[in-house]
Amino acid sequence: MTMNDIYIHAKNLVYAYREEDGLKMPVLHGISLDIKRGEYVAVLGHNGSGKSTFAKLLNMILEPESGELVVAGRDLCSPELTEDDLFALRREVGMVFQNPDNQLVATIVEEDVAFGPENLGVPPAEIRKRVDEALETVGMTAYARHEPHRLSGGQKQRIAIAGVLAMRPSCVILDEATAMLDPVGRREVIETVERLNREAGMTVITITHYMNEAARADRVVVIDDGRILMDGTPREVFSQPEKLMAAGLDVPQCTALVHALSEEGISLKGTPITTEECADLICRALEEKKNGNRNA
Amino acid sequence: MATVTLEHVSYIYGKGTPFEIKALDDVSLTVKSGRVTGIIGHTGSGKSTMVQLLNGLEKPEGGRVLLDGADIWENPKNMQAIRFRVGLVMQYPEYQLFEETIEADIAFGPRNMGLDEEEISKRVREAAAFVGLEPELLQKSPFDLSGGQKRRAAIAGVMAMRPEVLVLDEPAAGLDPRGRDIILRGIREYGERTGSTVIIVSHSMEDMAAYCDDIVVMYQAKVFLAGTRDEVFSHAGELASVGLDVPQITHLALLLKKRGVPLPDAIYTVEAARDCLRTLLQ
Repeated sequence: MTMNDIYIHAKNLVYAYREEDGLKMPVLHGISLDIKRGEYVAVLGHNGSGKSTFAKLLNMILEPESGELVVAGRDLCSPELTEDDLFALRREVGMVFQNPDNQLVATIVEEDVAFGPENLGVPPAEIRKRVDEALETVGMTAYARHEPHRLSGGQKQRIAIAGVLAMRPSCVILDEATAMLDPVGRREVIETVERLNREAGMTVITITHYMNEAARADRVVVIDDGRILMDGTPREVFSQPEKLMAAGLDVPQCTALVHALSEEGISLKGTPITTEECADLICRALEEKKNGNRNA
Repeated sequence: MATVTLEHVSYIYGKGTPFEIKALDDVSLTVKSGRVTGIIGHTGSGKSTMVQLLNGLEKPEGGRVLLDGADIWENPKNMQAIRFRVGLVMQYPEYQLFEETIEADIAFGPRNMGLDEEEISKRVREAAAFVGLEPELLQKSPFDLSGGQKRRAAIAGVMAMRPEVLVLDEPAAGLDPRGRDIILRGIREYGERTGSTVIIVSHSMEDMAAYCDDIVVMYQAKVFLAGTRDEVFSHAGELASVGLDVPQITHLALLLKKRGVPLPDAIYTVEAARDCLRTLLQ
Protein backbone atom coordinates (compact mmCIF):
# COMPACT_ATOMS: atom_id res chain seq x y z
CA MET A 1 0.00 0.00 0.00
CA THR A 2 1.56 3.31 -1.04
CA MET A 3 0.84 6.58 0.71
CA ASN A 4 -1.37 7.54 -2.24
CA ASP A 5 -3.80 4.74 -1.56
CA ILE A 6 -4.31 5.82 2.02
CA TYR A 7 -7.29 8.10 2.34
CA ILE A 8 -7.38 8.40 6.10
CA HIS A 9 -4.34 7.98 8.30
CA ALA A 10 -4.84 8.20 12.06
CA LYS A 11 -2.16 7.53 14.63
CA ASN A 12 -2.53 7.77 18.41
CA LEU A 13 -5.50 10.04 17.93
CA VAL A 14 -6.71 11.51 21.23
CA TYR A 15 -9.79 13.59 21.87
CA ALA A 16 -11.39 14.90 25.07
CA TYR A 17 -14.56 16.90 25.58
CA ARG A 18 -14.32 19.83 27.96
CA GLU A 19 -16.75 19.96 30.85
CA GLU A 20 -18.18 23.21 32.24
CA ASP A 21 -15.71 23.16 35.14
CA GLY A 22 -12.78 22.95 32.74
CA LEU A 23 -12.12 19.27 33.37
CA LYS A 24 -11.45 17.09 30.40
CA MET A 25 -13.59 14.08 29.57
CA PRO A 26 -11.40 11.81 27.47
CA VAL A 27 -13.34 10.05 24.72
CA LEU A 28 -10.72 8.72 22.34
CA HIS A 29 -7.55 7.26 23.83
CA GLY A 30 -5.18 6.79 20.93
CA ILE A 31 -6.92 5.56 17.80
CA SER A 32 -4.60 4.29 15.08
CA LEU A 33 -5.89 3.11 11.73
CA ASP A 34 -5.51 3.61 8.00
CA ILE A 35 -8.43 3.59 5.59
CA LYS A 36 -7.76 3.13 1.91
CA ARG A 37 -9.28 5.17 -0.87
CA GLY A 38 -12.44 3.43 -2.06
CA GLU A 39 -12.81 1.26 1.03
CA TYR A 40 -16.24 0.56 2.57
CA VAL A 41 -15.82 0.53 6.33
CA ALA A 42 -18.42 0.00 9.05
CA VAL A 43 -17.66 1.33 12.52
CA LEU A 44 -19.41 -0.38 15.41
CA GLY A 45 -19.51 0.51 19.10
CA HIS A 46 -22.04 0.99 21.88
CA ASN A 47 -23.52 4.42 22.68
CA GLY A 48 -20.74 6.55 24.16
CA SER A 49 -17.93 4.37 22.78
CA GLY A 50 -16.47 7.30 20.86
CA LYS A 51 -17.36 6.18 17.35
CA SER A 52 -19.29 9.34 16.45
CA THR A 53 -16.53 11.49 17.93
CA PHE A 54 -14.08 9.70 15.67
CA ALA A 55 -16.27 10.43 12.64
CA LYS A 56 -16.57 14.10 13.56
CA LEU A 57 -12.78 14.42 13.66
CA LEU A 58 -12.54 13.28 10.06
CA ASN A 59 -13.95 16.49 8.63
CA MET A 60 -12.89 18.70 11.51
CA ILE A 61 -16.24 19.25 13.14
CA LEU A 62 -14.05 18.48 16.15
CA GLU A 63 -10.31 19.09 16.43
CA PRO A 64 -8.02 16.36 17.69
CA GLU A 65 -6.30 16.91 21.00
CA SER A 66 -3.14 15.13 19.94
CA GLY A 67 -1.90 12.48 17.54
CA GLU A 68 -1.71 12.36 13.76
CA LEU A 69 -4.64 12.69 11.40
CA VAL A 70 -4.30 12.96 7.65
CA VAL A 71 -7.49 12.96 5.55
CA ALA A 72 -7.50 13.18 1.76
CA GLY A 73 -3.92 14.35 1.75
CA ARG A 74 -4.42 17.13 4.33
CA ASP A 75 -2.65 17.05 7.66
CA LEU A 76 -5.40 18.07 10.08
CA CYS A 77 -3.01 18.44 12.98
CA SER A 78 -0.70 20.85 11.16
CA PRO A 79 -0.54 24.36 12.61
CA GLU A 80 -0.42 25.61 9.02
CA LEU A 81 -3.89 24.33 8.23
CA THR A 82 -5.88 27.29 6.89
CA GLU A 83 -9.58 27.99 6.81
CA ASP A 84 -9.49 27.34 3.06
CA ASP A 85 -8.07 23.89 3.72
CA LEU A 86 -10.90 23.29 6.15
CA PHE A 87 -13.59 24.22 3.60
CA ALA A 88 -11.88 22.09 0.95
CA LEU A 89 -11.81 19.18 3.38
CA ARG A 90 -15.51 19.48 4.19
CA ARG A 91 -16.32 19.55 0.52
CA GLU A 92 -14.46 16.30 0.06
CA VAL A 93 -15.69 14.52 3.16
CA GLY A 94 -19.47 14.70 3.33
CA MET A 95 -21.47 13.66 6.37
CA VAL A 96 -25.02 12.43 6.76
CA PHE A 97 -26.40 12.50 10.30
CA GLN A 98 -28.99 10.49 12.19
CA ASN A 99 -32.12 12.61 12.17
CA PRO A 100 -33.59 13.11 8.68
CA ASP A 101 -35.54 16.14 9.91
CA ASN A 102 -32.48 18.03 11.11
CA GLN A 103 -30.46 18.31 7.92
CA LEU A 104 -32.74 19.57 5.17
CA VAL A 105 -32.84 23.35 4.88
CA ALA A 106 -34.94 24.25 1.84
CA THR A 107 -38.64 23.93 1.10
CA ILE A 108 -38.15 22.21 -2.26
CA VAL A 109 -36.04 19.08 -2.72
CA GLU A 110 -33.86 20.37 -5.59
CA GLU A 111 -33.16 23.64 -3.77
CA ASP A 112 -31.99 21.66 -0.80
CA VAL A 113 -29.58 19.67 -2.94
CA ALA A 114 -28.36 22.93 -4.53
CA PHE A 115 -27.63 24.53 -1.16
CA GLY A 116 -24.04 23.28 -0.90
CA PRO A 117 -22.80 24.16 -4.41
CA GLU A 118 -24.59 27.53 -4.23
CA ASN A 119 -22.55 28.36 -1.16
CA LEU A 120 -19.39 27.39 -2.99
CA GLY A 121 -20.20 29.91 -5.71
CA VAL A 122 -20.60 27.25 -8.39
CA PRO A 123 -22.07 28.78 -11.64
CA PRO A 124 -25.85 28.20 -12.02
CA ALA A 125 -25.59 25.95 -15.09
CA GLU A 126 -23.11 23.73 -13.28
CA ILE A 127 -25.36 23.65 -10.19
CA ARG A 128 -28.27 22.50 -12.34
CA LYS A 129 -26.12 19.72 -13.74
CA ARG A 130 -24.86 18.61 -10.33
CA VAL A 131 -28.32 18.64 -8.75
CA ASP A 132 -29.81 16.58 -11.57
CA GLU A 133 -26.97 14.08 -11.39
CA ALA A 134 -27.10 13.83 -7.61
CA LEU A 135 -30.86 13.23 -7.58
CA GLU A 136 -30.48 10.67 -10.33
CA THR A 137 -27.80 8.83 -8.35
CA VAL A 138 -29.97 8.51 -5.25
CA GLY A 139 -33.03 7.64 -7.32
CA MET A 140 -35.02 10.74 -6.37
CA THR A 141 -35.32 12.56 -9.70
CA ALA A 142 -39.10 12.25 -9.66
CA TYR A 143 -39.20 14.16 -6.38
CA ALA A 144 -37.11 17.18 -7.46
CA ARG A 145 -39.99 19.61 -7.03
CA HIS A 146 -41.48 18.00 -3.94
CA GLU A 147 -41.51 19.39 -0.43
CA PRO A 148 -39.00 17.53 1.74
CA HIS A 149 -41.31 17.33 4.75
CA ARG A 150 -43.76 15.17 2.82
CA LEU A 151 -41.11 12.52 2.09
CA SER A 152 -40.48 9.33 4.06
CA GLY A 153 -37.47 9.09 6.36
CA GLY A 154 -35.51 7.00 3.85
CA GLN A 155 -36.28 9.48 1.06
CA LYS A 156 -35.19 12.39 3.25
CA GLN A 157 -31.88 10.68 3.99
CA ARG A 158 -31.35 10.07 0.27
CA ILE A 159 -31.93 13.79 -0.32
CA ALA A 160 -29.33 14.51 2.37
CA ILE A 161 -26.94 12.18 0.54
CA ALA A 162 -27.72 13.96 -2.76
CA GLY A 163 -26.87 17.26 -1.04
CA VAL A 164 -23.49 15.81 -0.12
CA LEU A 165 -22.94 14.42 -3.64
CA ALA A 166 -23.61 17.83 -5.20
CA MET A 167 -20.41 18.96 -3.45
CA ARG A 168 -18.50 16.28 -5.44
CA PRO A 169 -16.99 14.58 -2.38
CA SER A 170 -14.53 11.71 -2.40
CA CYS A 171 -15.85 10.25 0.85
CA VAL A 172 -19.25 9.92 2.51
CA ILE A 173 -19.59 9.32 6.25
CA LEU A 174 -22.92 8.10 7.58
CA ASP A 175 -23.22 8.81 11.30
CA GLU A 176 -26.01 6.39 12.26
CA ALA A 177 -27.88 7.68 9.23
CA THR A 178 -30.18 4.65 9.23
CA ALA A 179 -30.97 4.57 12.96
CA MET A 180 -34.29 6.39 12.67
CA LEU A 181 -35.48 4.61 9.54
CA ASP A 182 -37.76 1.62 9.02
CA PRO A 183 -36.40 -1.48 7.25
CA VAL A 184 -37.44 -0.22 3.82
CA GLY A 185 -35.86 3.19 4.34
CA ARG A 186 -32.75 1.54 5.69
CA ARG A 187 -32.40 -0.64 2.64
CA GLU A 188 -32.85 2.38 0.32
CA VAL A 189 -30.05 4.26 2.03
CA ILE A 190 -27.66 1.32 2.24
CA GLU A 191 -28.15 0.35 -1.39
CA THR A 192 -27.53 3.96 -2.40
CA VAL A 193 -24.19 4.24 -0.60
CA GLU A 194 -23.11 0.78 -1.70
CA ARG A 195 -23.66 1.82 -5.29
CA LEU A 196 -21.59 4.97 -4.73
CA ASN A 197 -18.83 2.79 -3.35
CA ARG A 198 -18.90 0.14 -6.05
CA GLU A 199 -19.59 2.27 -9.10
CA ALA A 200 -17.98 5.59 -8.26
CA GLY A 201 -15.22 4.21 -6.05
CA MET A 202 -16.23 6.51 -3.23
CA THR A 203 -14.80 5.87 0.22
CA VAL A 204 -17.73 5.06 2.52
CA ILE A 205 -17.62 5.01 6.30
CA THR A 206 -20.81 3.99 8.03
CA ILE A 207 -21.31 4.20 11.76
CA THR A 208 -24.10 1.90 12.78
CA HIS A 209 -25.75 -0.25 15.43
CA TYR A 210 -27.11 -2.73 12.92
CA MET A 211 -24.93 -5.82 12.67
CA ASN A 212 -26.56 -6.88 9.40
CA GLU A 213 -25.52 -3.55 7.90
CA ALA A 214 -21.95 -3.90 9.12
CA ALA A 215 -21.83 -7.42 7.66
CA ARG A 216 -22.11 -5.90 4.16
CA ALA A 217 -19.01 -3.70 4.46
CA ASP A 218 -15.47 -4.64 3.30
CA ARG A 219 -14.16 -4.03 6.78
CA VAL A 220 -15.53 -3.68 10.30
CA VAL A 221 -13.84 -1.57 12.97
CA VAL A 222 -15.12 -1.96 16.53
CA ILE A 223 -14.50 0.92 18.91
CA ASP A 224 -14.91 0.33 22.63
CA ASP A 225 -14.33 2.98 25.28
CA GLY A 226 -12.32 5.14 22.93
CA ARG A 227 -10.00 2.39 21.68
CA ILE A 228 -10.03 0.10 18.69
CA LEU A 229 -11.12 -3.28 19.97
CA MET A 230 -11.34 -5.16 16.67
CA ASP A 231 -10.51 -4.44 13.05
CA GLY A 232 -10.96 -6.90 10.20
CA THR A 233 -13.31 -8.33 7.62
CA PRO A 234 -16.89 -8.88 8.82
CA ARG A 235 -16.13 -12.60 8.98
CA GLU A 236 -13.07 -12.11 11.17
CA VAL A 237 -14.89 -9.74 13.52
CA PHE A 238 -18.11 -11.73 13.80
CA SER A 239 -16.23 -14.95 14.49
CA GLN A 240 -15.63 -13.60 18.02
CA PRO A 241 -19.14 -13.17 19.42
CA GLU A 242 -18.03 -13.15 23.07
CA LYS A 243 -15.73 -10.23 22.49
CA LEU A 244 -18.47 -8.31 20.69
CA MET A 245 -21.04 -9.04 23.35
CA ALA A 246 -18.66 -7.89 26.08
CA ALA A 247 -18.52 -4.59 24.18
CA GLY A 248 -22.33 -4.31 24.29
CA LEU A 249 -22.75 -5.42 20.68
CA ASP A 250 -24.29 -8.37 18.86
CA VAL A 251 -23.54 -10.65 15.95
CA PRO A 252 -25.92 -11.47 13.08
CA GLN A 253 -28.35 -14.21 14.17
CA CYS A 254 -26.90 -16.80 11.78
CA THR A 255 -23.44 -16.23 13.23
CA ALA A 256 -24.91 -16.51 16.75
CA LEU A 257 -26.59 -19.80 15.82
CA VAL A 258 -23.36 -21.43 14.66
CA HIS A 259 -21.67 -20.21 17.83
CA ALA A 260 -24.51 -21.54 20.01
CA LEU A 261 -24.26 -24.94 18.30
CA SER A 262 -20.51 -25.07 18.83
CA GLU A 263 -21.08 -24.47 22.54
CA GLU A 264 -23.21 -27.63 22.50
CA GLY A 265 -20.32 -29.54 20.96
CA ILE A 266 -21.60 -29.38 17.38
CA SER A 267 -18.99 -27.55 15.39
CA LEU A 268 -19.80 -26.38 11.89
CA LYS A 269 -16.74 -25.20 10.06
CA GLY A 270 -16.81 -21.47 9.32
CA THR A 271 -18.42 -18.20 10.34
CA PRO A 272 -21.44 -17.65 8.12
CA ILE A 273 -22.50 -14.03 7.71
CA THR A 274 -25.39 -14.35 5.29
CA THR A 275 -28.45 -16.57 5.53
CA GLU A 276 -27.47 -18.49 2.39
CA GLU A 277 -23.98 -19.28 3.69
CA CYS A 278 -25.46 -20.52 6.94
CA ALA A 279 -28.02 -22.71 5.16
CA ASP A 280 -25.23 -24.21 3.00
CA LEU A 281 -23.15 -24.94 6.07
CA ILE A 282 -26.00 -26.67 7.88
CA CYS A 283 -27.08 -28.69 4.85
CA ARG A 284 -23.52 -29.86 4.35
CA ALA A 285 -23.27 -30.93 8.01
CA LEU A 286 -26.57 -32.83 7.75
CA GLU A 287 -25.36 -34.51 4.57
CA GLU A 288 -22.08 -35.55 6.21
CA LYS A 289 -23.95 -36.94 9.18
CA LYS A 290 -26.21 -38.99 6.89
CA ASN A 291 -23.20 -40.38 5.01
CA GLY A 292 -21.42 -41.04 8.30
CA ASN A 293 -24.41 -43.04 9.56
CA ARG A 294 -24.50 -45.05 6.37
CA ASN A 295 -20.82 -45.87 6.60
CA ALA A 296 -21.15 -46.82 10.25
CA MET B 1 -55.64 -5.76 34.18
CA ALA B 2 -57.37 -4.24 31.22
CA THR B 3 -58.47 -5.34 27.80
CA VAL B 4 -58.29 -3.01 24.83
CA THR B 5 -60.62 -3.58 21.90
CA LEU B 6 -60.92 -1.82 18.58
CA GLU B 7 -64.26 -2.27 16.84
CA HIS B 8 -64.36 -1.43 13.12
CA VAL B 9 -62.08 1.53 13.68
CA SER B 10 -61.17 3.78 10.79
CA TYR B 11 -59.14 6.97 10.69
CA ILE B 12 -58.42 9.37 7.85
CA TYR B 13 -55.79 12.12 7.73
CA GLY B 14 -56.54 15.32 5.81
CA LYS B 15 -60.13 14.34 5.12
CA GLY B 16 -61.62 16.29 2.23
CA THR B 17 -58.20 17.55 1.03
CA PRO B 18 -56.16 16.27 -1.92
CA PHE B 19 -53.79 14.72 0.62
CA GLU B 20 -56.45 12.50 2.16
CA ILE B 21 -54.89 9.30 3.52
CA LYS B 22 -56.71 6.41 5.09
CA ALA B 23 -54.51 5.50 8.06
CA LEU B 24 -56.80 2.81 9.49
CA ASP B 25 -59.42 1.00 7.49
CA ASP B 26 -62.10 -0.91 9.43
CA VAL B 27 -59.72 -2.36 12.00
CA SER B 28 -61.09 -4.77 14.61
CA LEU B 29 -58.75 -6.17 17.21
CA THR B 30 -58.58 -7.31 20.82
CA VAL B 31 -55.42 -6.85 22.82
CA LYS B 32 -55.41 -9.41 25.59
CA SER B 33 -55.14 -8.35 29.18
CA GLY B 34 -51.87 -8.86 31.03
CA ARG B 35 -49.86 -9.79 27.95
CA VAL B 36 -47.20 -8.05 25.91
CA THR B 37 -48.49 -7.36 22.42
CA GLY B 38 -46.26 -6.15 19.60
CA ILE B 39 -47.64 -4.09 16.74
CA ILE B 40 -45.45 -4.22 13.68
CA GLY B 41 -45.68 -2.82 10.18
CA HIS B 42 -44.11 -0.47 7.66
CA THR B 43 -44.05 3.28 8.03
CA GLY B 44 -47.51 4.41 7.00
CA SER B 45 -49.16 1.09 7.82
CA GLY B 46 -51.23 2.78 10.53
CA LYS B 47 -49.51 1.55 13.67
CA SER B 48 -48.67 4.92 15.21
CA THR B 49 -52.16 6.19 14.44
CA MET B 50 -53.53 3.15 16.21
CA VAL B 51 -51.63 3.82 19.42
CA GLN B 52 -52.74 7.44 19.45
CA LEU B 53 -56.34 6.26 19.29
CA LEU B 54 -55.85 4.05 22.34
CA ASN B 55 -55.68 6.87 24.87
CA GLY B 56 -57.90 9.30 23.04
CA LEU B 57 -55.23 11.55 21.50
CA GLU B 58 -57.05 11.00 18.23
CA LYS B 59 -60.73 10.24 17.77
CA PRO B 60 -61.69 7.48 15.37
CA GLU B 61 -63.51 8.53 12.20
CA GLY B 62 -65.68 5.45 12.53
CA GLY B 63 -65.94 2.58 14.99
CA ARG B 64 -65.20 2.42 18.71
CA VAL B 65 -62.18 2.08 20.99
CA LEU B 66 -63.11 0.10 24.11
CA LEU B 67 -61.28 -0.12 27.42
CA ASP B 68 -62.60 -3.08 29.41
CA GLY B 69 -65.69 -3.01 27.24
CA ALA B 70 -66.48 0.70 27.68
CA ASP B 71 -66.18 3.21 24.82
CA ILE B 72 -63.43 5.66 25.80
CA TRP B 73 -65.30 8.46 23.99
CA GLU B 74 -68.58 7.78 25.79
CA ASN B 75 -67.92 10.71 28.08
CA PRO B 76 -65.16 12.90 26.62
CA LYS B 77 -64.94 14.87 29.90
CA ASN B 78 -63.58 11.69 31.41
CA MET B 79 -60.64 11.55 29.06
CA GLN B 80 -58.12 12.47 31.74
CA ALA B 81 -59.09 9.36 33.72
CA ILE B 82 -58.67 7.29 30.56
CA ARG B 83 -55.19 8.74 30.02
CA PHE B 84 -54.22 7.83 33.57
CA ARG B 85 -55.26 4.27 32.80
CA VAL B 86 -53.66 4.11 29.36
CA GLY B 87 -50.12 5.49 29.45
CA LEU B 88 -48.55 6.40 26.11
CA VAL B 89 -44.80 6.73 25.52
CA MET B 90 -44.26 8.43 22.19
CA GLN B 91 -41.32 8.04 19.79
CA TYR B 92 -38.06 9.59 21.01
CA PRO B 93 -39.58 10.51 24.39
CA GLU B 94 -36.20 11.75 25.64
CA TYR B 95 -36.94 15.04 23.86
CA GLN B 96 -39.85 15.56 26.24
CA LEU B 97 -37.87 15.70 29.49
CA PHE B 98 -38.21 19.19 30.94
CA GLU B 99 -37.64 19.15 34.71
CA GLU B 100 -34.41 20.09 36.47
CA THR B 101 -33.75 16.61 37.78
CA ILE B 102 -34.57 13.15 36.56
CA GLU B 103 -36.45 12.50 39.80
CA ALA B 104 -38.69 15.54 39.31
CA ASP B 105 -39.35 14.50 35.74
CA ILE B 106 -40.43 10.98 36.65
CA ALA B 107 -42.55 12.41 39.52
CA PHE B 108 -44.43 14.79 37.22
CA GLY B 109 -47.10 12.29 36.16
CA PRO B 110 -47.86 10.79 39.57
CA ARG B 111 -47.99 14.28 41.09
CA ASN B 112 -50.59 15.30 38.51
CA MET B 113 -52.61 12.31 39.59
CA GLY B 114 -52.84 13.88 43.04
CA LEU B 115 -50.88 11.20 44.88
CA ASP B 116 -49.22 12.04 48.21
CA GLU B 117 -45.48 12.65 48.40
CA GLU B 118 -44.70 9.33 50.02
CA GLU B 119 -46.48 7.41 47.28
CA ILE B 120 -44.89 9.58 44.59
CA SER B 121 -41.42 8.88 45.93
CA LYS B 122 -42.15 5.16 46.06
CA ARG B 123 -43.43 5.17 42.48
CA VAL B 124 -40.40 7.09 41.23
CA ARG B 125 -37.98 4.60 42.77
CA GLU B 126 -39.98 1.66 41.51
CA ALA B 127 -40.22 3.02 37.96
CA ALA B 128 -36.52 3.86 37.87
CA ALA B 129 -35.76 0.29 38.95
CA PHE B 130 -37.89 -1.15 36.13
CA VAL B 131 -35.85 0.63 33.49
CA GLY B 132 -32.52 0.05 35.25
CA LEU B 133 -31.73 3.68 36.17
CA GLU B 134 -29.33 3.74 39.12
CA PRO B 135 -30.64 5.72 42.14
CA GLU B 136 -27.66 8.09 42.01
CA LEU B 137 -28.81 9.31 38.59
CA LEU B 138 -32.11 10.58 39.98
CA GLN B 139 -30.66 13.85 41.27
CA LYS B 140 -28.92 14.62 38.00
CA SER B 141 -30.10 16.99 35.31
CA PRO B 142 -31.39 15.36 32.13
CA PHE B 143 -28.55 17.21 30.35
CA ASP B 144 -25.99 15.06 32.18
CA LEU B 145 -27.40 11.75 30.98
CA SER B 146 -26.66 9.76 27.84
CA GLY B 147 -29.34 9.37 25.19
CA GLY B 148 -30.17 5.85 26.33
CA GLN B 149 -30.47 6.93 29.97
CA LYS B 150 -32.73 9.83 29.02
CA ARG B 151 -34.93 7.46 27.06
CA ARG B 152 -35.22 5.22 30.12
CA ALA B 153 -36.07 8.20 32.35
CA ALA B 154 -38.85 9.25 29.99
CA ILE B 155 -40.32 5.74 29.96
CA ALA B 156 -40.08 5.59 33.76
CA GLY B 157 -42.12 8.82 33.89
CA VAL B 158 -45.06 6.99 32.32
CA MET B 159 -44.51 3.77 34.30
CA ALA B 160 -44.64 5.80 37.54
CA MET B 161 -48.30 6.53 36.80
CA ARG B 162 -48.73 2.75 36.85
CA PRO B 163 -51.06 2.65 33.86
CA GLU B 164 -53.16 -0.50 33.40
CA VAL B 165 -52.25 -0.32 29.74
CA LEU B 166 -48.73 0.80 28.84
CA VAL B 167 -48.33 1.73 25.19
CA LEU B 168 -44.88 2.46 23.73
CA ASP B 169 -44.16 3.70 20.22
CA GLU B 170 -40.70 2.48 19.09
CA PRO B 171 -39.17 2.41 22.59
CA ALA B 172 -35.85 0.96 21.41
CA ALA B 173 -35.32 2.87 18.15
CA GLY B 174 -31.76 4.09 17.61
CA LEU B 175 -30.27 2.39 20.68
CA ASP B 176 -27.29 0.06 20.70
CA PRO B 177 -27.97 -3.65 21.32
CA ARG B 178 -27.34 -3.50 25.05
CA GLY B 179 -29.45 -0.37 25.57
CA ARG B 180 -32.23 -1.96 23.53
CA ASP B 181 -32.21 -5.11 25.66
CA ILE B 182 -32.27 -3.17 28.96
CA ILE B 183 -35.31 -1.16 27.88
CA LEU B 184 -37.30 -4.03 26.40
CA ARG B 185 -36.56 -6.29 29.35
CA GLY B 186 -37.65 -3.50 31.73
CA ILE B 187 -40.90 -3.05 29.85
CA ARG B 188 -41.64 -6.77 30.03
CA GLU B 189 -40.86 -6.78 33.71
CA TYR B 190 -43.27 -3.89 34.27
CA GLY B 191 -46.02 -5.95 32.63
CA GLU B 192 -45.22 -9.08 34.62
CA ARG B 193 -44.94 -7.38 38.01
CA THR B 194 -47.99 -5.10 37.74
CA GLY B 195 -50.19 -7.35 35.62
CA SER B 196 -50.61 -4.48 33.17
CA THR B 197 -51.31 -4.89 29.50
CA VAL B 198 -48.32 -3.79 27.41
CA ILE B 199 -48.41 -2.73 23.76
CA ILE B 200 -45.13 -2.14 21.91
CA VAL B 201 -44.95 -0.66 18.42
CA SER B 202 -41.79 -1.51 16.50
CA HIS B 203 -40.15 -1.99 13.11
CA SER B 204 -37.96 -4.74 14.44
CA MET B 205 -39.23 -8.28 14.02
CA GLU B 206 -36.22 -9.54 15.98
CA ASP B 207 -37.20 -7.46 19.02
CA MET B 208 -40.84 -8.48 18.71
CA ALA B 209 -39.84 -12.12 18.49
CA ALA B 210 -37.75 -11.85 21.62
CA TYR B 211 -40.05 -9.81 23.87
CA CYS B 212 -43.73 -10.13 22.86
CA ASP B 213 -46.38 -12.78 23.63
CA ASP B 214 -48.75 -11.71 20.87
CA ILE B 215 -48.08 -9.95 17.59
CA VAL B 216 -50.28 -7.82 15.36
CA VAL B 217 -49.00 -7.16 11.85
CA MET B 218 -50.37 -4.04 10.17
CA TYR B 219 -50.27 -3.66 6.41
CA GLN B 220 -51.83 -0.88 4.36
CA ALA B 221 -54.14 0.38 7.12
CA LYS B 222 -55.49 -3.07 7.94
CA VAL B 223 -54.61 -5.93 10.27
CA PHE B 224 -52.66 -8.37 8.12
CA LEU B 225 -52.02 -11.01 10.79
CA ALA B 226 -52.73 -11.25 14.51
CA GLY B 227 -52.13 -13.99 17.02
CA THR B 228 -49.60 -15.47 19.36
CA ARG B 229 -45.95 -15.20 18.43
CA ASP B 230 -45.96 -18.83 17.23
CA GLU B 231 -49.06 -18.32 15.11
CA VAL B 232 -47.74 -15.19 13.45
CA PHE B 233 -44.26 -16.54 12.74
CA SER B 234 -45.67 -19.74 11.27
CA HIS B 235 -46.71 -17.41 8.42
CA ALA B 236 -43.13 -16.25 7.87
CA GLY B 237 -43.42 -16.69 4.11
CA GLU B 238 -46.43 -14.36 3.93
CA LEU B 239 -44.68 -11.79 6.10
CA ALA B 240 -41.73 -11.79 3.75
CA SER B 241 -44.07 -11.51 0.75
CA VAL B 242 -45.39 -8.14 1.98
CA GLY B 243 -41.84 -6.92 2.48
CA LEU B 244 -41.64 -7.24 6.25
CA ASP B 245 -38.26 -8.13 7.60
CA VAL B 246 -38.65 -11.48 9.30
CA PRO B 247 -35.78 -12.18 11.71
CA GLN B 248 -32.68 -13.54 9.94
CA ILE B 249 -33.07 -16.80 11.88
CA THR B 250 -36.67 -17.23 10.62
CA HIS B 251 -35.47 -16.58 7.10
CA LEU B 252 -32.80 -19.25 7.60
CA ALA B 253 -35.39 -21.77 8.84
CA LEU B 254 -37.53 -21.09 5.75
CA LEU B 255 -34.54 -21.67 3.48
CA LEU B 256 -33.64 -24.92 5.25
CA LYS B 257 -37.21 -26.18 5.05
CA LYS B 258 -37.25 -25.47 1.34
CA ARG B 259 -34.18 -27.68 1.08
CA GLY B 260 -35.97 -30.48 2.88
CA VAL B 261 -34.69 -30.07 6.43
CA PRO B 262 -37.53 -31.08 8.78
CA LEU B 263 -38.08 -28.02 10.97
CA PRO B 264 -41.20 -26.72 12.74
CA ASP B 265 -43.15 -23.84 11.23
CA ALA B 266 -42.30 -21.08 13.67
CA ILE B 267 -38.66 -20.51 14.45
CA TYR B 268 -37.89 -16.97 15.46
CA THR B 269 -35.16 -17.13 18.07
CA VAL B 270 -31.57 -18.35 17.90
CA GLU B 271 -32.27 -20.64 20.88
CA ALA B 272 -35.18 -22.38 19.15
CA ALA B 273 -33.11 -22.90 16.00
CA ARG B 274 -30.22 -24.25 18.04
CA ASP B 275 -32.44 -26.76 19.85
CA CYS B 276 -34.04 -28.05 16.65
CA LEU B 277 -30.74 -28.37 14.81
CA ARG B 278 -28.98 -29.97 17.74
CA THR B 279 -31.46 -32.82 17.63
CA LEU B 280 -30.91 -33.23 13.90
CA LEU B 281 -27.14 -32.97 13.99
CA GLN B 282 -26.28 -35.03 17.06
